[in-house]
Formats: sequence, C-alpha cells, structure tokens
Amino acid sequence: MAGRAQIPTSNSALIAMIADEDTITGFLLAGVGNVDIRRKTNYLIVDNKTTVKQIEDTFKEFTNRDDIAIVLISQYVANMIRFLVDSYNKPVPAILEIPSKDHPYDPAHDSVLSRVKYLFSTESVASDRR
Amino acid sequence: MAEIESDQLQRASLDETKVKNEDEEEEECILQFLDSLDAYLTLVDSLSSSLRQGWFDLASARQSMGHTRISSKLFDHKVHSASTTINITELDADNPSDPKPQFSLSKWATTKENPSSEVPNNSNLRHRAPTGVLEDDEKSNGTQVSSVVSNDIQKERSKSLTIFGGLVSPKLRTAQVSFETALDKIVEIANARSSMLSSFSQLQLNKKSSS
Repeated sequence: MAGRAQIPTSNSALIAMIADEDTITGFLLAGVGNVDIRRKTNYLIVDNKTTVKQIEDTFKEFTNRDDIAIVLISQYVANMIRFLVDSYNKPVPAILEIPSKDHPYDPAHDSVLSRVKYLFSTESVASDRR
Repeated sequence: MAEIESDQLQRASLDETKVKNEDEEEEECILQFLDSLDAYLTLVDSLSSSLRQGWFDLASARQSMGHTRISSKLFDHKVHSASTTINITELDADNPSDPKPQFSLSKWATTKENPSSEVPNNSNLRHRAPTGVLEDDEKSNGTQVSSVVSNDIQKERSKSLTIFGGLVSPKLRTAQVSFETALDKIVEIANARSSMLSSFSQLQLNKKSSS
C-alpha cells in the first residue's frame, strides 16, 4: 500500500500546486510560492491551453522532488491524469485533491477514498450473506 | 496426568487471551480508520468553504482593483523561498513497514535570524530588585519578542500583497486570510489522510495474516 521507503523528514518542505489561476493566486498570497535557483516554481497554472502532457510531466516532477511535502491538485485536473494519480502510492509527498471554483469536490473520484472504499464493499457483501 | 491437563488448560487460556487481544487491536484499528475517514471528509468540506470564501474575496478585489492588477502575469519569478512551509516528522519511526508521516505548518517564516536573539537575555545576571520587578522585566521581554515576531509576520504578509501593487483592496487582504485558513485545513487533511492510510494498511495486514 504505502511505500516502504523511509519517510524523508524535513523542516521546511514546500507545498506544490497544480490548479487554476485563482486557486494558485490565493495560495501565493498565503506565502507558499517558491522559485528556486533554476527558476523552477512549485506551481502549475492550468488553463484551457494547458495540455495533459504538461500536467502529467509536472505531476511526475513534483512527486519526485525531495523538497515537496504536499501536492495540491484540483480534482478536475486530477481527473485528466486519473491513472497517474491513482497509481501513486508514496506517503510523501501527500497528494490532496481539492475543489475548484467551477468543479465542486466529489468524494467518489478522490483517489484516497476509492483506495479504501473496497473495504466497505467487502463488509456489505459479508452482511448480505448473513 | 494432572500436570499435563493443567499445562493444556494454561495454553488454552493463553491462546484465548492472545486471540482476545488481537481482536481488540483490530477493533481499535477499525475505529481509528473510521475516525480518520470521518475527519478527512469533514475537513474537506470545511476546506471547500474556506476556498469558496477566498475565491469570492478575490473576485471582489479584482472587481475593485481591476482585472489586470490581479493576474498571474504579475507573479514574482525572481528567485525567492516560500515563507510558509511544511515540517514533516515520522510518527512511528520504529515501524518501517507502516510509514506514518506527520505534517505541521510553519507560517510566515522570515529569512532573518530569530528575533529573540536580538533581545538581550538577562537570565544569568543576579538582580537585587524585588522578584515582582524581575518578573515584569521577563514579561516585558516576552511581550517585546512576540511583538517583534508579529511585526515580522505582518511584513511577510505585506510582501505577498505587494506583488499586486502598493495599495491593495481590503478584499485582497481578507482573501489572503481565507487562503491561510485553507492552508491550516490542508495540513489537517494531510494528517488525517496519513492516519487513514496507515490504519487501512494495518487492517489489510491483519486480514492477510488471519486468512
């Protein structure tokens, strides 16, 4: 289930974001924006010109960086790369699906909840048999 | 014969106790899983409210300041570190098969040295003054430190706002507060997620070992 590698503990890890412009703007106001020496940011603004390949590459980049603790991804963006998000199973960085302005949060699509929901379906099958 | 029987009885009661303990552990694990699942769903709902408030305030600020003054084109692309970061610790380092990271938020950390180091530390000096005066001195030192720290935090907050110009709408400031609140909830959600996945993997292990 979760990766068996040791968790990289850190005192100042970043929050990465893959979301729409307003969400990114808001979180940058809250002070999470980071630009490193290579001029790489810890966010990707997704608009109608952003390709699925760009989103996939950014997701892979963020999940492989050691200095990122949490990756926030709008759920509608996560749905575009659902296979990649669902197959991710490391404890850090934590992938959190968040709502966006135009797409409210749907627990049925959340990768963490879909991973654990089979536990309930097994239980309901067992109770039906009784 | 009697000895063999008592041995067998002892073993049976030990086995029974062991099974009972395992059942209790499993029930505890299930409760922990359900609690963290409930916390996760509640927090996501709460996060949605904070984000909605933030988007609304941002839209209001955009309306009063103008669309071009609040745009991604104004984002700072110069090299700079994040003021708000995350601290990660491992909750159960003795159990490498069940990693459980714990996240905590560090808001508005400044790049300056710790302001308390700038306040003189008189604790090693002996004072002949009455204790009350000394305590007042210590309290005023503590107040000075906290006011220096809150000034630094306000400076960092203002720095984030200056991306959009010197004079900004009050709605932009309230949007900033809404998104800061959202960040607190995000960290709690991350911890609930970690707890949920940890207890879920424990339940799976128990299921495999029992089958």
